[in-house]
Amino acid sequence: MIDFIELERIVGEAIRSGAEYAEVRYHRVDGLSLFFLNGVLFGAYQPLVSGVAIRVVYSGGLGFSSTSDLTSEGLRDALSRAIASARSSSFMVKNKVVMGAASLGYAKYSVLERKLLVDMPVEDKINSLVEKLKSIDFKRDPMRISSYTLSYNENIEYKMLVTSDGAVIESRVPRVSLFYNISASSGERRANRWNMLAASGGFEVVDKVKLEEEINDDLNSLYTSLVKAQSPPRGRMDVVLGPEIVGLAMHESVGHPSEADRVLGREAAQAGLSYRREYREPQFGSELVTVIDDPTIPGSYGFYLYDDEGVPARRRFLINKGRLEELLHNRETAAVFNVESNASARATDYRSEPIVRMANTYMAPGDYTFEELIEDVREGVYIRKYMEWNIDDYRWNARYVGLEAYIIKDGRLGDPVRDVVLEITTKEFFSNIDAIGRDLEFSAGTCGKGEPSQPMPVWMGGPHIRLRGVRL
Amino acid sequence: MIDPQVLAENASRKLSNLVDEYVVNANIVSSVMVKYADGEVTVTQSWKDYILDVYVSKNSKINTSTYTTHDPIEVLSKLPSLIEKLTASPLYTPLPEPTGSPLSIIDSRLKDSSLSGDISGLLGSIDVKSYGNVAGMIEISYSRSHYIGSNGLDSGFEITEFNGYFRVFRGDDSGQWAWVSTFYDESLARGALDKASSLAELCSSLPKENIETGYYRVLLSPMVSGNLLESVARFSTAGSVILGFSFLQGKKAGDIIASEKLTLREVPRNNRLPNYRGFDDEGVATMDKPIIERGVFKGFLHNSKTAKLMNEKTTGNAGWILPRIFNLEVEPGDIRESELLEALGDGLYATNNWYTRFQNFLEGTFSTVTRDALLIVRRGKPIACSRRARLAGSLPEMLSSIEDLSRERWQIKWWEVRAPIILPHMLIKKITVTSTTL
Repeated sequence: MIDFIELERIVGEAIRSGAEYAEVRYHRVDGLSLFFLNGVLFGAYQPLVSGVAIRVVYSGGLGFSSTSDLTSEGLRDALSRAIASARSSSFMVKNKVVMGAASLGYAKYSVLERKLLVDMPVEDKINSLVEKLKSIDFKRDPMRISSYTLSYNENIEYKMLVTSDGAVIESRVPRVSLFYNISASSGERRANRWNMLAASGGFEVVDKVKLEEEINDDLNSLYTSLVKAQSPPRGRMDVVLGPEIVGLAMHESVGHPSEADRVLGREAAQAGLSYRREYREPQFGSELVTVIDDPTIPGSYGFYLYDDEGVPARRRFLINKGRLEELLHNRETAAVFNVESNASARATDYRSEPIVRMANTYMAPGDYTFEELIEDVREGVYIRKYMEWNIDDYRWNARYVGLEAYIIKDGRLGDPVRDVVLEITTKEFFSNIDAIGRDLEFSAGTCGKGEPSQPMPVWMGGPHIRLRGVRL
Repeated sequence: MIDPQVLAENASRKLSNLVDEYVVNANIVSSVMVKYADGEVTVTQSWKDYILDVYVSKNSKINTSTYTTHDPIEVLSKLPSLIEKLTASPLYTPLPEPTGSPLSIIDSRLKDSSLSGDISGLLGSIDVKSYGNVAGMIEISYSRSHYIGSNGLDSGFEITEFNGYFRVFRGDDSGQWAWVSTFYDESLARGALDKASSLAELCSSLPKENIETGYYRVLLSPMVSGNLLESVARFSTAGSVILGFSFLQGKKAGDIIASEKLTLREVPRNNRLPNYRGFDDEGVATMDKPIIERGVFKGFLHNSKTAKLMNEKTTGNAGWILPRIFNLEVEPGDIRESELLEALGDGLYATNNWYTRFQNFLEGTFSTVTRDALLIVRRGKPIACSRRARLAGSLPEMLSSIEDLSRERWQIKWWEVRAPIILPHMLIKKITVTSTTL
């Protein structure tokens, strides 16, 4: 086990070697996954990923190295590779990298577990999950279930961070996620529904996320889609969207394009660019809309109190009353924009450089009840859940395909419809919102970004919302 | 440096009396990646990882682990107590006899530079800056693996890899291209830069036009067809079928699932591609084999566990719990690349895509978003460029709608094509394209 003294030593050696900035992170992720097929455990997986990441700025060039070899020789080699990488970068930069000034933390924090993951016997975890699955009635005649799978995943993320300009952070965040897929058919029609439920905390998360209720609800959605739903109406009409789709849209259409590295073109060849490179009108959408990214929500899947550059986390207002506001920054992008970092640097593991990421992105709730949202619609569709989505690499044109959706006629919910496709620009989406529900629900996700890819735990949330006159 | 063979032997000794069966894979991976944006280097990254992958079984209970840590041997002692507490797996079957021999492919330039982290000599001659506004990355890597198993497996191999991709911008227009190889060849990187640059310039020189939603003849570049055919290959693994993630569920060998123009092969023994290997994770000899041959489905990819479950034979594609794909190859077609637009006639040439998502895995319905140059072609000539549109359809329909493929092939791997693949351009008779706003 490595300690802070060793990390401080590496930082000191980096600075003595001529680096302008050095950051050393010990990062350990202990995991356990259990895989169930049709209610029966079919395998387990136990990853342990631990090592040291070193990042240095040398003559304006940025270098990163990592190693799982924690011997003196291994750490020396990693430092020399980081400096060599930064030096080689420095010969090929026009704009020198600067890590922007920030109020840095000297802190230790951890997320407490009511049911300790390390103490709870694995057989108790298995039994608890099997019992939950057994309690679910999968029968929905004439729908047939061809298979269902569940994976239980826990990981305990432990980090020690030291930077050359004074950050010292120790953190421990346990997380639990459940991912399931149900494959169903009715006659010639087949469909599947996957879902992820997750939060930070101990094994109590399994109860908190209400696995049985969620699966039951998804079985009902599949039944509705496969057995009862008809073809959807087409044309321009009002649409009410459920929190699941609203949360996803906040992540995809607001969160990603607000990442400052994407705005600067650093992700141009991978996850793409952002409409916020060009969009200059501050009033972006309805004044009703406020979109926030907040890493500090207790129990959230994207929870942290200090980012991986040692900056204290806070709420970020990405859209405030319809106006585009903050970008998500790490210290490097903050320096370019001449602002202070808002603590968005996250790294998946010791092999990953900290890059700009979201945490928990959501639309702030309004004051409508669900009934009020519906009663004012003469002709429209309510889309409750989605089964497919994508968006272009400027984050401008998105597509959502409904799994469970209903006709709205004269202010009342009507028959279910299937395969409703909403293709809409981000601008149209936010401009056409005329009412926002007072509810707020979060969904869990694993956000993808970076090269090499860095999967990152996030929450996405929102209330029910109403869009007027959009094309289906 | 820790020797993977020594690490594997230590792990093997630790496990041999504690479990019924085991396989360990000790792996050292050294790699360097240079990332570019706006024509300059944004970061250079260097990794050196010691990874120990472990499979154990006891009383038909199975567990796998990955230890990327300083002292994996110490952690191994926790395994027996964990496995005792599991329940018997319905997938369990005894490890098969090892039948494969090791295959290695090493380019010493890639090996030396990956290990030292010094890439200045190797990549210095690739003049990325001269292409203007370029984003992308170049990666070199070296890995050495050693497997030891209770089934008698005791074998190791080494691989080097050179891959990358570039996206070149000309104003608001762009082109992107990728490459992968087991050898260092700077012409691959320059070729990708040239290709991306020429697509960006072509798009830039053309008027911009929005695409009307409707059915189109579409020419898919290897970047796009690689993305979609990789999905087809993944759906052909028995694991995808068992877990309910495959439109091939219910299909059997001999079923016609594609145009007779398509032959898609899984090729672990192609030494131009970096997942080149002589045996799979169970020690079974790998083999190059068709997944689809002239439109006919040739069967699912298996490890010994899924093979037993489906009463078939392993295809040398283990994965300890579920099978996996190594490398892919698509047989060439008849059209010269220089004649592709003429063969397309009236239609669209999609040069790149991303964000493929499945609306329904069991029916294979999907949509994917084009990015970079999307050329509108009339009478065989590009007459306009549209930046983005969405291709939507079903994989079964798209496979049946393949009209022809190009003679020339490309070796592709990038963010949206994870399995290394050699493949040509692919001409699709009809697919739905929906308009997006410029």
